[in-house]
Amino acid sequence: MTIFDFYIFDRNGTCLCYAEWNRKKQSGISKDEEYKLMYGMLFSIKSFVNRISPTDIKDGFLNFKTSKYMLHFYETPSGLKLIMNTDLGAGSMRDVLHQIYSTIYVEYVVKNPLCELDKPILSELFKSKLDEFIRSLPVFASKVS
Amino acid sequence: MSRQTARAGDPRKVNGELFTLTYGALVAQLLRDYEDDEEVNKQLEKMGYNIGVRLIEDFLARSNTSRCNDFRETSDIISRLGFKMYLGITPVISNWSPAGDEFSLLIENNPLSDFVELPEGHTALNYSNILCGVLKGALEMVQMDVDVWFVQDQLKGDNITEIRLKFIKRLDDAVPAGED
Amino acid sequence: MAIYSVYIINKAGGLIYQYDHFTNRPEVEKTFSFPFEIVLKVFDEKVVVAFGERDGIKVGHTVLAINGKPVEGRYLQDGRDIMEFLASPENFPLDVKFGRPKLTTNEKIMLASMFHSLFAIGSQLSPDLRSSGIEVLETDTFKLHCHQTMTGVKFIVIADPKQAHIDVLLKKLYEVYTDFALKNPFYSLDMPIRCDLFDSNLQGAIEQSEKLGISNI
Repeated sequence: MTIFDFYIFDRNGTCLCYAEWNRKKQSGISKDEEYKLMYGMLFSIKSFVNRISPTDIKDGFLNFKTSKYMLHFYETPSGLKLIMNTDLGAGSMRDVLHQIYSTIYVEYVVKNPLCELDKPILSELFKSKLDEFIRSLPVFASKVS
Repeated sequence: MSRQTARAGDPRKVNGELFTLTYGALVAQLLRDYEDDEEVNKQLEKMGYNIGVRLIEDFLARSNTSRCNDFRETSDIISRLGFKMYLGITPVISNWSPAGDEFSLLIENNPLSDFVELPEGHTALNYSNILCGVLKGALEMVQMDVDVWFVQDQLKGDNITEIRLKFIKRLDDAVPAGED
Repeated sequence: MAIYSVYIINKAGGLIYQYDHFTNRPEVEKTFSFPFEIVLKVFDEKVVVAFGERDGIKVGHTVLAINGKPVEGRYLQDGRDIMEFLASPENFPLDVKFGRPKLTTNEKIMLASMFHSLFAIGSQLSPDLRSSGIEVLETDTFKLHCHQTMTGVKFIVIADPKQAHIDVLLKKLYEVYTDFALKNPFYSLDMPIRCDLFDSNLQGAIEQSEKLGISNI
């Protein structure tokens, strides 16, 4: 099992944070383009899900799987979107994403008065805490060689 | 997370009186700087707004509530969870408008105004106006545009402190930006 | 436990077949007096609840009927604008029926092509080599399963999140498609499928799959 990469978007679609660990393929476009495409895709999926759902939606979109990876999505009521790509072995990462939000983003970004909330996160402390947290997860466990 | 566990029985918890005094000193200084009640109200609201947009994230992280779909639900969460968590009080909710888009928070003992006696000639000052800003900022982050204002204030001799909230509209998610 | 609907999309993103198997769309009717307590907005030429849930009326529901008469989009049958109608005190008290609207054919076509592009983006943004597009999309109310054939036709099944063995159903649908659409000499490729035999066999496959899903729980 492994974790490929991780994104945070604010509610205006700005990519606040991107980090990657075992990513094997780049999308072949610039990072800025990639963030836009990712946000656009999530935005469309949300709207798609809302319309096509046969019954009333509460949390809405949770994750999707392809033949190679799984994208996990978690959105806070304030519109912050956390996205994590893992391989197919990982189960639900909803709790993990919520934990990143409540114990890392809120603690080291929101409560740091020097961090602007609508700009990419520059805080090294945040980045190192995130990295440490991700690496400590059981799902991160070194890839089977 | 070391900071997280420390929070349960946080030994560094700030003394409530220190908080009240700090806020008092802040308002007093603003009054000296601006010499105008309305302007001070505005500054307090602005500060509150900036606190609100951050505080809401802490609130969501800790309370794990999901998005409100009704203003009554919102009022309940503000009073029972929000005020309780950060100020230790539970305001009474009352005076609903017939359309259900306006309500009042009635505060019996506002911790911000302990020890405060308003001097003469400040009838326009809303001493605790920072609360309005906090509420506005926090609700805006959860897609609710509201108006918040003081109706009554015990500091001005009213029986109770009353903050009124009016729902204006639901804000939508940002549409992805096009090519520049 | 149910299978909600099936979509078949050709390689260009066009919807060639759609079938709603099970729909349990909630509807709520309530009598209101002035002022109207629910915040509405106009979205997609429909009047939608934006805020103010109560008594089973949920955000996202549309106004289906007023005083027992079905509405037409955002207008009453006599052409009056619903938003204006609900803003005038003299029209109260009145009954309003809310619910999730049935998708129109146009909306289904749009959703199909939307998924077609999402599928492609999902593959482009893959962090791993040689990934397919979206195969399973999970939400709290349903799971969407998609199988793309080598020739680029997509079979999509929307089902309850707990419904099992959808992969078997997708394979079966592909067989039904080859047997009763492709092998039919009067069916032109990539065009909407209109064959009775196809319909009945597809429905049979779905019903069988539902039984299979239950017996295996």
